[in-house]
Amino acid sequence: MTAAPPSLRAVGRHLPIATVLLVAVWPFALWLLSRSDPELAVRFESAVYHALRTLAFWLLAAVGVACIVFPPAWAGLRLFWSRLWRSLSNDQAPLRRAISELRHFESAARHAEVGRLARLRQRDDLARPHLERAVELDPTHAGSWYQLGLLQFHAGQSAVAAESFRRVEELDPGHAFGDALLLRGRALHALGDPEALALLVQHQRQHGGSPRSHVWLADAHLRAGDRDAANAALQLAAAPPRLRLTAEENWFRAWARVRCLGSRRTP
Amino acid sequence: MKDLLREVDAVPVTIVTAIAYGTLAVVTQPFGDPREFGQLLERFGWLTPHDVIAGEPWRLLTHAYLHGGAVHLLFNLATLFAFGPALERSLGSVRFLLLYVVSALGGALAVCCTYEPNQPVVGGSGALFGMMGAAMAMNMRSGRHVLACLDFDGPRRLLGAIAANLVLGFFFPMISNTAHVGGLLAGFLLTFLWLRPGDATLALQRWRLASLALLAGATFSSFVPATRIDWLAMQFEATDDPQRREALLRAVYRTGKVVPVAEPQPRGR
Repeated sequence: MTAAPPSLRAVGRHLPIATVLLVAVWPFALWLLSRSDPELAVRFESAVYHALRTLAFWLLAAVGVACIVFPPAWAGLRLFWSRLWRSLSNDQAPLRRAISELRHFESAARHAEVGRLARLRQRDDLARPHLERAVELDPTHAGSWYQLGLLQFHAGQSAVAAESFRRVEELDPGHAFGDALLLRGRALHALGDPEALALLVQHQRQHGGSPRSHVWLADAHLRAGDRDAANAALQLAAAPPRLRLTAEENWFRAWARVRCLGSRRTP
Repeated sequence: MKDLLREVDAVPVTIVTAIAYGTLAVVTQPFGDPREFGQLLERFGWLTPHDVIAGEPWRLLTHAYLHGGAVHLLFNLATLFAFGPALERSLGSVRFLLLYVVSALGGALAVCCTYEPNQPVVGGSGALFGMMGAAMAMNMRSGRHVLACLDFDGPRRLLGAIAANLVLGFFFPMISNTAHVGGLLAGFLLTFLWLRPGDATLALQRWRLASLALLAGATFSSFVPATRIDWLAMQFEATDDPQRREALLRAVYRTGKVVPVAEPQPRGR
């Protein structure tokens, strides 16, 4: 899945605290307004409350309707909830322990472990130096390259991510059940490299498919101008799953369903 | 100062609070005329949002020791003894006292920010909800992660008790759910953000700053409710500037809480 741009994620991370600060500033703002024009302050307050109430009502209604008629809406809610739950229920102790162990003895595996755990805690800023140090200490450690590649991929650095995943595939073909191969294909696709299609097809052949890999393969086929193959891949992605999908995979399936509908209408 | 705090730490705050509840309940009992009950509660410190801006800010705290009858008192005493001793043992008396005061203030500020100016409120339930919030916060920060406590029966029951009390407050109009929510939030935030050991991370420091800003905003809104009718009326009384008076009068009417008295119409035959 293509990660949200870093700026958007940063906004999302600071949104709760910004909301609290906005609520805290509200009485001061009203008072300042009231000093110049008390009637305007009263009108402004009631207009804002009215607008907020209306917005909340229509937002709820729109989300409710969207969840019924537009599959990605419900899938997006599930994905948001899953990420929120993961961030709240992620154990901090292993990360602290891994960092404290690093003080006694430095090794590539320990740095990689800190990096992996920091990524789980969504602390990319903490993970990056540890993963870079891990690959510096032991350039043959596939796990470190894989984690570094993931970090670079989610930061939108496709070129370096593709290179990291290439190293993973060199060191350990089929690493992480073929995920490195798939992500390398996607990173190259983002760079506009025609090799991406071959890699994604190879991944499909060697490791089977999932809604995510089917959708990415469809994108690569579309770029290569093969609409039929793209539609076939989207059909596969949108097919009802035999097992319950993860929130991420469900998100791709939901979009594939919408795109299938669109492709049927397109002559 | 440390000696003083150590001495205060030896005082059983739960017992002292219960004695204060009981004493004030006796003192505010109208042994003669039952109509005096309201007057007694007002004299001993019930809270109305208007009283706070009229120069009686001590009511923000005193209302948390008064009760509106025997049933109210017994309920709150039971809750105080259910949560107080355990929390006091965990936090220490000084911090427990701080928790009680901050939670009571949280409930009172929530009331002042949202209630009608002359709606009176009494009772320590805001502070007691703060204790429940504090207990939840302690559960949440003592686990391996914030939701780990939900694997255990105790915290789940506590959450159930909080939810049940809030639902109960929603259905009974004489219960101030606003004060409950304000106290709950204040107690939770105080314990989760401030009363914790170890160095504060950057994120924690940011949230502490945000909580202080929220407290400052709520306090300011309680003392200077710039768009509330009674504050506008007080400003109207206090100013001599005719333009300002006219603007304030327009603002008073704009609140929609007063209707201009119509001129008496001559009756037709």
